[in-house]
Amino acid sequence: MNQEEKDRASNTNAQRNEINEIKHLLREAMPPLPSDQLEPRADLWPRLRARLDSQHTTDRAASNVNGKSQRIRVTWFDWALTALAAAALLIFPGIIPALLYHF
Amino acid sequence: MNQHAYLRAYMAGIVVPTIFLLLAATAFTIARYVYNVPVPIERVIVFPMAVVPNLWGLWNIFFIASHQRTRLSIGIHGAILPLILGPLGILMTSLLDFTIPDFATHIFPVAAPVALIVYYLVWKYFVGSLNQIVGIA
Repeated sequence: MNQEEKDRASNTNAQRNEINEIKHLLREAMPPLPSDQLEPRADLWPRLRARLDSQHTTDRAASNVNGKSQRIRVTWFDWALTALAAAALLIFPGIIPALLYHF
Repeated sequence: MNQHAYLRAYMAGIVVPTIFLLLAATAFTIARYVYNVPVPIERVIVFPMAVVPNLWGLWNIFFIASHQRTRLSIGIHGAILPLILGPLGILMTSLLDFTIPDFATHIFPVAAPVALIVYYLVWKYFVGSLNQIVGIA
């Protein structure tokens, strides 16, 4: 066995010792739980489901305030403004780069 | 659902200009490098890329913070923003020693009201919808 092989073997031993020491420290820091504490006492899923359902109902109620749906309704005035802006862009296309810059 | 209202306002505010920036940057890049438009856009592109989306976010925060007192509609609130962005953009171009093309200065009297209209509509319908979606409208 040459010197290089000896060094490698001693490094491997040192690493194994370190890993064992870390394992030992971890086991000391986190002792295993007793078997009666491994699972919750009651089934938590029905409570979580009820909570999700109530949150869903609240969100739906918030989005339909006073029975109005969230559908967007565009007024005639806004259509007129849109037409005006579109016409201006068609007649003066030079506006487009200025708008792009400031958008 | 009322937690972090300002953070949600900021995020809702930056959506539209951030998406639109993709189109604008593409248009500018094609104009500059494909059609060789002799305007050094890359020197001033930092304004639409960094300042505009952040200002939109901050402006939406300002809307949420001030709406109780001012009762201003979101469209009108948004239409005020070009009055800040316009001078800021001009200041930025002059600081960066960027010569504004002649056609842009001549077109300003038409471009200004169009910008107000576009901002009014975009804030009313797009930012307003986003505010509703994130639950701060």
